[in-house]
Amino acid sequence: MLNFETTLQDSKTYGDLTLSEVEPILKINLRSNKREFSTKIGKLLSILPPIEANTSSSNEDYSILWLSPDEWLIYSNNKISYEQQNLLEENLFNNISNINQGSVTNVTDHWIMINLKGSKIYDLLSKSSPYDFKNFKIKKGSVAQTLLNHTDVILHNIGDNNLNLFVRRSFSEDLWLWINDSARFL
Amino acid sequence: MFIIICPYCGERDQTEFSSGGEAHIVRPKQPTELSDDEWAEFLFMRKNIKGIQFERWNHSHGCRKWFNVVRDTSNDKIHAVYKMGEKPPINK
Repeated sequence: MLNFETTLQDSKTYGDLTLSEVEPILKINLRSNKREFSTKIGKLLSILPPIEANTSSSNEDYSILWLSPDEWLIYSNNKISYEQQNLLEENLFNNISNINQGSVTNVTDHWIMINLKGSKIYDLLSKSSPYDFKNFKIKKGSVAQTLLNHTDVILHNIGDNNLNLFVRRSFSEDLWLWINDSARFL
Repeated sequence: MFIIICPYCGERDQTEFSSGGEAHIVRPKQPTELSDDEWAEFLFMRKNIKGIQFERWNHSHGCRKWFNVVRDTSNDKIHAVYKMGEKPPINK
């Protein structure tokens, strides 16, 4: 059953492959097609939303993933307190949503982030994803939205054989079980 | 199964997309003045030809954007992909 606090508490290792859920970090969805939006985000977070498709930009604290020409996902690289989360959300809301520059939605509890590490992660993903990982795996910062075992996922390449996978909360338990099951046969 | 080049994300497998049917069907400007037959024609009647067809597709498991595709229904060959609002690169 769905546990409101956290769905997956495990961290599993299969040979060279390590899977772990990353504690609820801040995730914010941004939508805008206004020109000033980019500079606003730059001022607020000292990071610009990427314009090029399937890419991301990061600084020490946050990463911004390209989801569509007018949609981005911000997530914090480290766990931050609820007070800080609320402060940032409020700040973005007041500077963007409130003046009709776009929309800001806190999706922290909507997405579950799983970190996959190890030389066999792409073998694992290729078992049930139609996506071609050829270019994705060589370019750090690549982003892909695709299907994994018929479930929508967002993948973010954060280094050599190291990626973050975002899955919707209600699908996360199922996908976690599938990943663990498949990882045994690599 | 075939590959579609999403105008926003690039080359992706067909399973990530959903088809939205025939493209370039213009909504009548005065729907109230239409007869039932004309309204039904606009709402329900679609071409189902063997050959080159203009279609709408949605990248539902990716960027969630709509776009147009020119596809040969007999062999699933895609002749062109273009964004919403753009003119078809191939004559209709």
